[in-house]
Amino acid sequence: MDWLKDYPVDVDAGDLFRHAPPEVAAKWRMMADGLHTLAQDSGLSAQELLARQIADMGMSFRMTGDAEERSWPLTPMPLIVGAQEWAKVEAGLIQRARLLEAVVGDIYGPQDLVREGHIPAAVVAGSRYFARAMGGVLPRRGHYIHVYAVDLARGPHGQWRVLGDRLRLANGVGYALENRLALSRGTGSLLSDIHARRLAGFFGQLRQGLSADCPRESPRIALLTPGRFNQSYPEQAHLARYLGFPLVEGRDLTVIDGKLYVRTIGGPKRVDALWRWIDTNSLDPLNFDARSTIGVPDLADCWTGGQVAMANWPGVEVVEAPAFAAFLPRLFQTLLGEDPLLPNVATWWCGGEAEADLVRGRLDELMVAPAFGQRVEGLAAVQPAHGAQLTLEAREALLAAMARRPMDYCAQEIINLSTTPALIDDRFEPRPFTLRAFVARGADGEWVVMPGGFARLSSSGKIASTLMGEGDLSADVCVVDEADEERFSRVTLTGAPAIRRDGGVLAAQAADNLFWFGRYGERAEMTVRVVRSILGGGIEVDAGASGHPEVRTRLVDLLANWGALSADHNALSPAEACRAALVENVLPGGVAALLNTQRNVGQSLRDRFAPDFWRIASRPLPLLDSHRPGVLLRVARELVERFAALSGLGAEDMVRGPAWRFLDMGRRIERALSLCRIARQLEGAGEESDRLNTLLDIFDSQITYRSRYLSAPLRDPVYDLLLLDPDNPRSLVHQVQAIERHIVALPSLREDALPEAPLREVRAVLAPLISLTVDQFDGPRMAEIEMRLQALSDSISARYFLQFDAAVAGRTPLQG
Amino acid sequence: MRYRIHHTTSLRYDGVVRLARLNLRLKPALWPGQRVENFALKLDPPPAEIEAGDGPWIVHRHRVILREALSELSIESRFDIEVSEPALSPDDAGAPDIGSIRAAALTLPDLSPMGPASYLFASPMAPPSTAIAEWAAPFLAADQSVLAAGHALMKAIHESFAYDGTATSVTTTAQDAFEQKRGVCQDFAHVMIVAARAHGIPAAYVSGYLRTLPPPGQPRLVGADAMHAWAALWCGQAIGWVGFDPTNDVLAGTDHIFVAMGRDYADIAPIDGVFLGGAGQNLSVSVDVEPVED
Repeated sequence: MDWLKDYPVDVDAGDLFRHAPPEVAAKWRMMADGLHTLAQDSGLSAQELLARQIADMGMSFRMTGDAEERSWPLTPMPLIVGAQEWAKVEAGLIQRARLLEAVVGDIYGPQDLVREGHIPAAVVAGSRYFARAMGGVLPRRGHYIHVYAVDLARGPHGQWRVLGDRLRLANGVGYALENRLALSRGTGSLLSDIHARRLAGFFGQLRQGLSADCPRESPRIALLTPGRFNQSYPEQAHLARYLGFPLVEGRDLTVIDGKLYVRTIGGPKRVDALWRWIDTNSLDPLNFDARSTIGVPDLADCWTGGQVAMANWPGVEVVEAPAFAAFLPRLFQTLLGEDPLLPNVATWWCGGEAEADLVRGRLDELMVAPAFGQRVEGLAAVQPAHGAQLTLEAREALLAAMARRPMDYCAQEIINLSTTPALIDDRFEPRPFTLRAFVARGADGEWVVMPGGFARLSSSGKIASTLMGEGDLSADVCVVDEADEERFSRVTLTGAPAIRRDGGVLAAQAADNLFWFGRYGERAEMTVRVVRSILGGGIEVDAGASGHPEVRTRLVDLLANWGALSADHNALSPAEACRAALVENVLPGGVAALLNTQRNVGQSLRDRFAPDFWRIASRPLPLLDSHRPGVLLRVARELVERFAALSGLGAEDMVRGPAWRFLDMGRRIERALSLCRIARQLEGAGEESDRLNTLLDIFDSQITYRSRYLSAPLRDPVYDLLLLDPDNPRSLVHQVQAIERHIVALPSLREDALPEAPLREVRAVLAPLISLTVDQFDGPRMAEIEMRLQALSDSISARYFLQFDAAVAGRTPLQG
Repeated sequence: MRYRIHHTTSLRYDGVVRLARLNLRLKPALWPGQRVENFALKLDPPPAEIEAGDGPWIVHRHRVILREALSELSIESRFDIEVSEPALSPDDAGAPDIGSIRAAALTLPDLSPMGPASYLFASPMAPPSTAIAEWAAPFLAADQSVLAAGHALMKAIHESFAYDGTATSVTTTAQDAFEQKRGVCQDFAHVMIVAARAHGIPAAYVSGYLRTLPPPGQPRLVGADAMHAWAALWCGQAIGWVGFDPTNDVLAGTDHIFVAMGRDYADIAPIDGVFLGGAGQNLSVSVDVEPVED
């Protein structure tokens, strides 16, 4: 069966499949057939097969303005490029990387290019990324650029062309990796069957290239993120996890004596290199923009002193301004003595008088764009606008604005894109595409090109500057060889790594988030258990809904105390109160609100959780449109099952390192507190047996009680089981003992081997629990234990977590 | 003219702060026609580290680190300065028109902080504003002499804006001040900068001191002065930078003492920095500009 048989023949001469050399076209057919077979065998469409992988991997993205992440639109058919064609692209990209490196080196070095008139001063100064303070500051090994992303277009005759250079952020490099992972997992051996070159070697080289520039051996390389609200945060988290780099925010880092450290639970640890996903201007509030709250004060001292390698070097993004493209073509000769192998889209900068005249005269044949990637007067967007499509009015406004500030504009030739077969529904259709390619510096300092990249299939045929537009599809890019070449499948790097068992550093910030992720989750679970108990979900045959009405009232009051219900809950029936507590998403104690908060905290932990864990944790609350106790009870049970699944995954899948310990400590401290709280809340309410049954029910200890005692619940046996029995996994002492073990296993900052404050605190809680008998536990003692647990939580915060105190200081106002 | 400057900033924090790291931009940078002598900087409590050097703009910077916990800090700078009358006072007749200024700024191969190219574009606190650009358009026709245009713009700001020390803060952008039509010297300078740049004239922000004359028959009040700010326009290679003070509707002359020049306030803020501790702060400034007899 030839699935591509019906693909149109009258497509432009540049179509990637229709006009591929025969041996490459054969790979296209092989891929298409393979997808077809897979789909038939599984009974799912190829898209559905892939969508499963995407969901499993938790791939998502956010468009500007989106509140929620969207699932990733990957089409199953990759772009297939033959080795011969790719070799030319590769050579062109490497040449261009060499050129940009030389240009950047000149701008922040001797500035001959400006002085000799090769680049106008205003083209450099016009970029908001020109970092004047970086002048004369040299990278230790002379490498300004480590990672370079390029947008490429393939013209209707198959010629490749550079649309734009990206040195600030290599957005898409993580998505290229994810696309490949999803495709190779979803399509069995298909990718090896067509001899697609692997991507792993590229990432290995990138990592080693960075590491080679670090001052220390076995360096620690971190990925510096602006934080979880950033649009490309999921991509950054994925890259960090894949490369084994700690994912850090500015506030995790600190500069001591010109060296960079990450604040961890075991004290500050050296950082030797940063792969920054933050603009130069925001990197250091003391040396660049003082308003930045995502940077690291005095980070500049570290790179100036050669103590930290930067990917990329601050300020390099100055050359990605579209205006630069007008001057780069001539610089190939000036700086390299070579002709460009890969042209860039023809560009005119209107700051030159002759160029401005030309653009005005040929406005209809050109695209007009802001020269420096920022919105400007007279143009609606940052994207190039087609001169011919401007209304008369808009054209007048543009020309007037250009007369006042010609330097803000540049014009580009109109590019037509060639097409590639895209699987739309059940057939292949030609779709115009652009390709983002990636170049990195390898272990020996030489450039390597990722054999593939990130393809964007446009629904409109427009060239956009964003990674993905509305309705666009992404596709993997496969560079294929005739035979499976040894050298690509076995990239030998620097020999086998040393065996290690630690999980790298745990930043104080991450520890904090893990602890609270645990606490929020447990509080949500306890709230649901209370709700379940009010609704009568226990196993007691004749208890009905939580036995005595007074017990129920007390539990509803507890929900209000916990902030799950508003103060005016008295008017609600117990079932209404239960529903309200479950769906409440404004008051901080509502189950919906707790799960939201937990998910928000968890966003920044994405690189630490297994995808399954995250998928369950971020599942939306079941639909709750009824007050009927039966429906509510079903939802409460469903939620309890979800919590059980999460703690099961946590218990089975998480390595027993510090990360797991903080998550577990948060959960256990919350459980211990809830136990004290609920026991005290029920004191003296209704019949003793109702009260004790409710307690046994909330803490899942009914069965154990029955197997031990023939009597109905009595105070001392129940309290012994719930408070003091270390073998009961829901007992108070069990939680506190677990916390003690965690703290003992965590690193200490003391050199004299004396216990740190958290350990002393936990032992103070533990002492009465292991030394007293149950009849000695009265109300006051329970209250004291609760207070001590709070103190323990505070002590853990003070010792291990960041104190959020970095503030921007003292700007003096001017008068006069 | 000779002056003796004494400038004290007292910072009082609501709580204890630690590890304060500050940039102080209080010592006048090298500037034609000015000579600084006897500069002294005193901090109380004294800093653990202090480092002086030129910043990336026309600015001198002291980097200061205070490691000890503190709740009060005083920063005191003193210096003597001689300010001479500009060599040739800029004369409208010979000044280039705005069109030529724009063209010259775009072709001059000068990326230095004295060159025009660096002051042609938007900067963090002086982003472009259509409203300001349109408001200023009548004063800034392409065939107008740049000096005459500068005078007209300065006068227009002086006349249409009210001086109001409470209307704006250090973080107010030109656009906000423009909408309110009130503010202080910093705001007026920013508005002038945004207006000039909108028409392709390189415009810079200057911080400094201003000699203030007591009302007739009254003694000069010590410490009653404040830091001042104005705008500078690039008027071609021959004339160079000319200071326009829209707050007082005068050109910067021997009453104006130059300290630093950057794209806007943020580049050359007299004091900024970071510290640890979530404290709010209270700030008081005393400036004395004392004319010294030769």
